[in-house]
Formats: sequence, C-alpha cells, structure tokens
Amino acid sequence: MTIVACAALLIGILIYIFYPQRKTEEQTQKTRLEYLRERKETIYENLRDLNFEYRAGKYPEEDYLAQRAAMENEAAQVLSEIEFLEDNVPAA
Amino acid sequence: MAAFGSFAILLGLVLCAYNLVVGAIALRQIAVHPQASLAPERLAESARRAGIGSFIALSAAAFALVYCAFTNDFSVAYILHHSNRALPWPYKFAALWSGQEGSLLLWAWLLAAYGFVLRVRHRVDVKLTAYASTILAAVQVFFTLLIVFPAPPFALVQGAIPTDGFGLNPLLQYPEMVIHPPMLYLGYVGFSVPFAFALGALMMRYPGEKWIHITRRWTMVTWLFLTCGIFLGMHWAYAVLGWGGYWGWDPVENASLMPWLTGTAFLHSVMMQEKRGMMKSWNVWLIFTTFMLSILGTLLTRSGLVSSVHAFAESSIGTWFWAFLVIVLAVCLFTYILQRDNLQSEHKIESLVSRESSFLFNNLVLLAACFTILWGTLFPIISEYVEGSKVTVGPPFYNRVAVPIGIFLLLLTGIGPVLAWRSTSFKSVRRNFLWPVIAGVATALILMAAGMRPWQDIGTLYSLMTFSLGALVTTAIVTEFWRGSRVIQRHTGKNMLSSLVQLTRRNTRRYGGYMVHLGVAIVFIGLAGSAFNQSAEQEMGFHDSMTIGPYRLVCQSYTQDSNANYDSEYELLNVYKNGKFLLQMAPERRFYHASQQTETMVADHSTLERDLYVVYEGANPDTNQPIIKVFINPLVAWIWIGVLVMALGTLLALVPNMSAEQAAQSRKPMEESVALPAGVGD
Repeated sequence: MTIVACAALLIGILIYIFYPQRKTEEQTQKTRLEYLRERKETIYENLRDLNFEYRAGKYPEEDYLAQRAAMENEAAQVLSEIEFLEDNVPAA
Repeated sequence: MAAFGSFAILLGLVLCAYNLVVGAIALRQIAVHPQASLAPERLAESARRAGIGSFIALSAAAFALVYCAFTNDFSVAYILHHSNRALPWPYKFAALWSGQEGSLLLWAWLLAAYGFVLRVRHRVDVKLTAYASTILAAVQVFFTLLIVFPAPPFALVQGAIPTDGFGLNPLLQYPEMVIHPPMLYLGYVGFSVPFAFALGALMMRYPGEKWIHITRRWTMVTWLFLTCGIFLGMHWAYAVLGWGGYWGWDPVENASLMPWLTGTAFLHSVMMQEKRGMMKSWNVWLIFTTFMLSILGTLLTRSGLVSSVHAFAESSIGTWFWAFLVIVLAVCLFTYILQRDNLQSEHKIESLVSRESSFLFNNLVLLAACFTILWGTLFPIISEYVEGSKVTVGPPFYNRVAVPIGIFLLLLTGIGPVLAWRSTSFKSVRRNFLWPVIAGVATALILMAAGMRPWQDIGTLYSLMTFSLGALVTTAIVTEFWRGSRVIQRHTGKNMLSSLVQLTRRNTRRYGGYMVHLGVAIVFIGLAGSAFNQSAEQEMGFHDSMTIGPYRLVCQSYTQDSNANYDSEYELLNVYKNGKFLLQMAPERRFYHASQQTETMVADHSTLERDLYVVYEGANPDTNQPIIKVFINPLVAWIWIGVLVMALGTLLALVPNMSAEQAAQSRKPMEESVALPAGVGD
C-alpha cells in the first residue's frame, strides 16, 4: 500500500512537471518605455491625491500650487521622454 | 504512513533542488542569449512546475504526520514524544508544530504553500516571478534538508513500541496554541516572498518599482499574520503562564518582535519608493534584514543558544541555521555590491517637515528598537564569549529603552499621516495639528485633574504621555476621515456614513493604514494601563476573604477533580464589587498524567476598565489550604481590541480600490458635469 501511494505521488508529479506544453510563457525584459509609463501613472496618482487633500482642506493654497507645479514638471519630463522613445524606438 | 511521509519529504527536496538548479540554468541562458530558441523557457517552466510539485509532496508529508498523530502511531518517535491517546483532537492536530521536527515540517510546508501561490500567479511578471521562484526554491531546499537530515519527523522508535505517548506539553494545551504557532510561522515564512522578489529584482536589474507593487499584498498579509501571531502569543502568555503579564521580554518573544519591527519599517519606507522613487537601497536592505531576522529568530528558538520558556532543547540544528544565515548574507551583499548602481534615488528629501522625513524617522526609530532588542537578546551570548559567564538582561533594561522609543513611535503614528509629501509649511502644520494637539493637551490636563501625578514616578509620566498622545493620534486620524468624507459628501450628496464608506473604498490602502494606526494607538493605551497594576497573594480557606481595589473575593469551596488527561485542583471564589455580588470565579491548577507536568488555568474577569486576574498558586503543604494570587490589571482589554482594529485595518488595506468608473458612477450626474478633469480627485 505504501509503495503504491509513493509511486502514485511520484508519477503524478512527474507527469505534471514534464507534460509537454503547447505554449510557454515568454520571459521579457521590461523596457525603459514600460517603466516610464508606470512612472507616469504613479505621478498622476500622486497628483490626484494632492488635489483631493487640497479639497479636503489639508493644505493652504500656496503649498498646493507649489506642490502641483513640481509634480506637473515631473510629469512633463516623463511624458516628453515617453514621446521621444515612442517616436524613436521601433515597436517590439 | 511513516515511510510514505519520509518518501514525500525526500521527493519534496528533489523537486525544490530541481527548481533551484534548473531554474537558475534557465535564467542564466535567457540572460546570456535572450534571442535563443524556446528551450530555456521550457526549462524554466518545468522548474516552476517542480516548485508547485514540491508543495504537493510536502502537503502529503504534513498529512502523513497528522494522520500518524490521529491514529496514535507511536512507532513514530515524534508522535510518541508529543501526543498520547487521551489528548483531545485539536491538540493532536497541534502536535504537528509542538516539537522541533514537526514545526520544521510545518515551516517547509508553509514555505512551499507560499511558493505555490507565487508560482501559480506567475503571469503578473513572468521573468521577475521566475527569479523569485528560484530564490524561494533555495530557501525551500534549506528547510527541506533540515527535515531530511538533522530533524526527520518520521524517525522510528528503536526497540519495543510503547502503548501510549508521553503527551503534549501542558503549556501548549490551550485553544490559542492551536493557532498561535501557525500564525507566527505564516508571518516568519511569508517574509521569504518579498525577500525573494527584492533579491530577484536586484539580480535582474529590474527597472522601476513594480516589484514593490507586486509584493505589497504579500508583505501586508505576512505582516498581518506576524502581528496576529505575536498578540496571540501575548494573550496565551497572559492566560496560561499565570504571572499576571503578557510580555516578559523572553528571547523568543523578542525574536518574533524584531522582524515585525523591520517589516513595519519596510511597509512604510516602500511608500517613499513607490511614490517618489526614493530609498531604494534602504528598502532592499530592510527586507533582507527582515528575512534574516526571521531566520535568526528561528535559530534562537531552536538552538538552545539563549534560555527561554519557548526554546527547544539544544541541538546541532543551530549550526545549519548559522551556515544558512552566512550564505544568505553573502549572497545579499554580493548581489548588492554588483547591482547597487541600479538603486539610485530619483529624488532627495526636500524638507525635514514632510511625509518623507516622518517615514525616515519612523524607520530609524523602529530600527533603533530592533537593534536594542537584538543587543539585549544576544547579550548573554556576547557576555559569555567575552567574560566567560552568561549575563542576562531582564525587563528593566528593555523597558528603560523600549518604552521611550515606543512613545516616540506613537507620536509619529499621529504626525506622519497629516504631513504633506515633499514639504509642509508652518501654516499647513498649524492647520492640521491644531485639533490633535488640543485633544492631547486636554487629555493630559483632565487626567492630572483626575489624580494622575506624572512627577511622582516615571511609570505614571510615561502613562500620561501615552494617553495624551493616544488622544492626539486618534484625533488626527478621525480628522483625516472626516475631512475626506466631507469632500465626498459635497460631490455626491450622500450622507456622511455613505461618504465615509466611499472614501475608504477609493483608497483602501491609505485609510486601512490609518485604521492600523488607530489600532496601534489603542494598543498603546492598553499597555499604558500596566503602570497602575496591583496584586495581592493570600492563603484562602473556606469563607476567607481578600480585598483588592474595588473587589472582595470570598472562598466558597476548594476541591479536586480528575479525568483521563489530567487531575485538577480548583477553588470557587465569590467576587463582590463595591459590596454587590458580581460573579463566581474558579482558578485551577492541573496535573497532566502523560507528561507529569502541572499547569495553571487562570480565572480572568475582563472589562474595558480592568481585568480581575486570579491564579491558583497551589496548596500550602503545612495547612493544605490553597494559595490565591490576585492581580488587577487596568485597560488590558484595550490591547486585544487594538489588535482587532489593526487586523481589520490591514484587511481593509488589502481590498482593491474602487475603480475610477465606480467612483464616477456614484457621483450625481449634475455634480459630474462640473467636476474637475477626469480622474482628478478620484
């Protein structure tokens, strides 16, 4: 009985591991462009948070405007690099 | 079944080793020849499946051990030493982790289970997951090797097989003990996953912060398990050990607290990396340290290096853990040195008064607490090495250092959420701190008017500061919820409660986090009550009475009882509060037959105001009358309530945010037409 159980476990797992697959997931290296798109989303999220907190009365207007300007500058830099890469890097 | 269990463990080891070796070869091939044919991808896929297979094999081994416990198979040495026929079934299940070999099997199985989830969800990022899976397989190989060589759970008894087992340690025969160790292990083991992702991301020079996003939920779940494990342990110590306290700075308690502290620091500082691309090296080292502290904690528990009520007997297993720790440290250091240029910060801290600096302070304070505890825990080993004799540091050392650190942390818990990113102006500070500070000062004044005298002793001073800061933190958090809800209310026209729910659903991580902070403040308030603990001890025969605080206890009877598992002695006490009958309590002492050990069963009457905690200390051998010890422990219940709030907050933070579309749908059409540009404010 023990031998049967051990054999069943072994064979079942071996079949699972080595059963030929029609399609294998490809491992791709993340590109700078993908990274910048993620960064853009983060900056937009930060901007949404800032707007919400301002409307909640958490920051005085001068703080809000200064922070918003800084974030918009950051977003502009990221967007211009995205545009540059999209124009110059051939599609994968 | 023992042979099947042993086979399953061996199979698990082979599969983990396959995952490690073949996975590493495949990653190398893909890195060197990225345009090669599909062969390395297929190798990587078989390695991933071997990792999944290791979970199946180790599940079979864990099942086999539980089966042996339930069928009283005393031919297995582990079952003989940790179970017996009369043991109730939940404790037979708990026998799986009550000894060295079984708990290591549990560890290996939990690691395989975490690995299973990670490998099944590999599509989130195939390459990064392949790296993490291979690193996790290396950790799995180590733990599976332990249960193959130095601590095999299915070792057989030599010679005649006894008809009954030696039983489970009575200290472990308590309902919480059925869940406390697995919770703690889920916490310890879980940190392997963010560790594997961090090391994998560093090895593959992963651009950006998405690995943090992927591991965020893993880290929070792990942190939640560790938090629950630690507090369940505290509750167990309080209810079972009978010394009236819940935290004794035992080395094994410390061992669980250290990774919790660094894990908490990591949870905070990764936000700086996610939001602003800062502290990348710091975060990587925080999670490396957290993982290594988890291993160190296990080493302390199992090697007998330090004296502890929890420690397993001294064994050679410590050498294995030291070797593993050295290898982990070497791999982390080597990878970091090689790839550190990929961890440059994108921004710097712009102001000392900002969210970033509050996170940094929070991290420094948490690390200071961690290294103080590490120093105190390792001091006996260091002193023995230097002076030849073990010098143990006790609770006074820890309390002297940890209490002020804890109070400072509590302050940061309130300050952090109300500071702005980048920099906060004085006007903003004044606007956000006005009400919290008023609440804190008012609390202090009210408590002093009520009779607290902080100048009389340091304990009262610390308590007053804790109550006051607790009020400050609570007000700061309530204000955050209130302000946010008001904005939602203005935009949707819903009532305040619906607005509060929508606010929370829009950013579950933030508001769940605030709820955790609220829970922390409540826990601290509970802890501060210990400055006013009282106790009394007395021999109490028939109709003898004892008065403590507002309570009078009168002995009604004392007697003995017996069942198949244990004999017991207990006393029935009528409790009167301010002259009125309140309840009857029955503190007990048990003698377990199988293990020949005694155990205290505390009688505890817990209210929000205080606990009345009664211990049957035994019978006076001269008079044969019971000795009763009574403690009054103020505010203890708040500790458990606070933990519940922390757990709920963490669960809330794990819930995905309401999507922008859902948020838009919940607005009034009219409001929508005048709302800010798409997404802004959502």
